[in-house]
Amino acid sequence: MTTPPKSVTRQLPQPVRFVLGMGILVGFAALGTGLTTLLHLPMPGPVVGMLLMWAALSAGLVRLHWIEDAADGLLGILGLLFVPATVGVIDYLSAGATWGLWLLVMLAGLLLGAGAAGLIASRLVRE
Amino acid sequence: MTWIALTLLAFVMGTLLGLRVSSPLSNPTLVATVLVAAALLLSHTPYEAYRLNVQPLSALLTPAVVALAVPMYRLRALLARQWRALVFGGLGGTLLGVSADTLLPQLLLLSTEAQRSLKTAPATSPVALQLAQFTHAPPVLAATLAVLSGLLGALVLPSFLTLIGVRHPLARGIAIGSVAHGVGTARAREEGDLTGAASSIGMGLAAVLVTFIVAFLG
Repeated sequence: MTTPPKSVTRQLPQPVRFVLGMGILVGFAALGTGLTTLLHLPMPGPVVGMLLMWAALSAGLVRLHWIEDAADGLLGILGLLFVPATVGVIDYLSAGATWGLWLLVMLAGLLLGAGAAGLIASRLVRE
Repeated sequence: MTWIALTLLAFVMGTLLGLRVSSPLSNPTLVATVLVAAALLLSHTPYEAYRLNVQPLSALLTPAVVALAVPMYRLRALLARQWRALVFGGLGGTLLGVSADTLLPQLLLLSTEAQRSLKTAPATSPVALQLAQFTHAPPVLAATLAVLSGLLGALVLPSFLTLIGVRHPLARGIAIGSVAHGVGTARAREEGDLTGAASSIGMGLAAVLVTFIVAFLG
């Protein structure tokens, strides 16, 4: 994505542009959370925020270069951000052999889902 | 503070290992989880104490979920051109994946906790984690199973797709992304740019579809 040369955000120092992006991303998460509360939607606020962000980018209300530093930074370490949650498995180690069954269920879901997706997409793909 | 430092450094070690050993199992999240979990067990620290300590890190997940809109937006040209294959393929795959992950645990009489946690495995971990409040799954189990599902997918799906004759890069990508999200997408990217892009789109569509399934079908 090219940034317009006259853009004001272009003149911001990079760390500040990161802060701008964080502000907008957190703002959209808050907006999403507010909307789910207001409309009693049984959905996580940040996911609604993601949909709103997609709409705002597509409508040109939010420019990609306002948020891309922050977004790429966060997505680049996304795997780190849920380590605090996955470490919680230590409370489930007693499940022992049942883990094998869980993996087997997921394997079935993966093969069925990916198999279907792959075969459907192969037929519909435009050359 | 100490636990935050340890978590950050364990993730870097996992990333370094990934640079040396190219296998889905040398995944930074997996390595960091194993290292931190071992440290907690060895020091007899309860998980709850750790969780409170590293809360600042978890707080960043909220803007990160919103940031998932960025790769989807960047790939809008591909999505517009190939929307039939991507949308029907992706949604079909995720729907079948969620159905299997919902019905099989019931047939196998797995625990309620496992049933609720497995359902969201085709969604990317941060979204599975967020959805736990609605499925009433233990959040840590939902997040962990989603990570493991991604790892398992990255390990088995490329050869499985070849086996069943799915050769087009776009079809392979959307198939991997629709059920194996983040880790799968990293693996798909190794096959090429188009496969990686299609997988990113599959991961985004899956996050949205799983959210809607949980919201409206329970």
